[in-house]
Amino acid sequence: MKPLTEYIARSLVEHPDEVDVREYRHGSRVTLELQVAKDDMGRVIGKNGRVANAMRTLLRVAAEREGLQVALDVVEP
Amino acid sequence: MNERTTLEIIAPTVEEALAQGLADLGLPREAVDVEVLDEGSRGLFGLGGRQVRVRLTIKGAETSEPAAGQPTPAPAAGQPAPAPEPIPTASAGTDELLSISEKTVGELLEKMKIEAQLTTRYGEPDEEGQRPVYVNIHGDDLSILIGRRAEILNALQYIVNLIVSKQLAHWVQIVVDVEGYRTRREVQLRKMARQMADQAVKTGRRQVLEPMSAGDRRILHLELRDHPEVTTRSIGEDPLRKVTILPKE
Repeated sequence: MKPLTEYIARSLVEHPDEVDVREYRHGSRVTLELQVAKDDMGRVIGKNGRVANAMRTLLRVAAEREGLQVALDVVEP
Repeated sequence: MNERTTLEIIAPTVEEALAQGLADLGLPREAVDVEVLDEGSRGLFGLGGRQVRVRLTIKGAETSEPAAGQPTPAPAAGQPAPAPEPIPTASAGTDELLSISEKTVGELLEKMKIEAQLTTRYGEPDEEGQRPVYVNIHGDDLSILIGRRAEILNALQYIVNLIVSKQLAHWVQIVVDVEGYRTRREVQLRKMARQMADQAVKTGRRQVLEPMSAGDRRILHLELRDHPEVTTRSIGEDPLRKVTILPKE
């Protein structure tokens, strides 16, 4: 799930080098923290969170295949 | 109303083109007429050969509108011969937009650990003459990629559009489909639109349809745009926005 998040984020931002994804796992729950440059926040969140929500939808498909639950947080640098 | 009744496919052989086209349309062989537009050429030692181009026309499609019966402009007329690929793919990927679109969908699916084959083609030009790109995903057990009300397919399509538009620095329209799901859905929606319109006329009452995505609602509005006896309107807020069909006064 981390590679999927990284790929999408790097493809959408102006500063791909500053994309950082951390994965935390507690049992079957996975939390992904996506950090991007400050001026790229809007590009990975989108209007009304549309981009982040689309990413969550795709992450859910990947997670369900492994019997996991996933949460994605976009965090400030 | 531009009912899509023809489809052009570019593939290494006529058989492959036909198989792809039928998969895209979700129709059996008997339901289409096949016309070979370009038989292709083998090329020297199998290199630099031209792929075949085939046009499928849906038989008995409701083409009462003369516009729908017009031949589609041949998009591949001046296309250069596709470069030989080491692995035979079913793709028509001869130009940048098609290959970037295919590559993007492929990357996403790979990272979602989904195995599938992809075919890409251009669709019919829209009102502004822009041709949308169609990426169809083929494979086993891909219903997980559609989701409730195509939620997953729409998320995938949205991300693909963003990535490719960003890469090319201009907006492009890419339609991502799974095993011809969208094509079949469109046929169903058009049929439903006409049935509900009949109902509205017969009963003189407003018909309210179930909530749908913007894309689905658009198909309904377009289908009934020129209907002499009804008008359509969307009401409510997403994700519960729905089409209503009203009899004209």
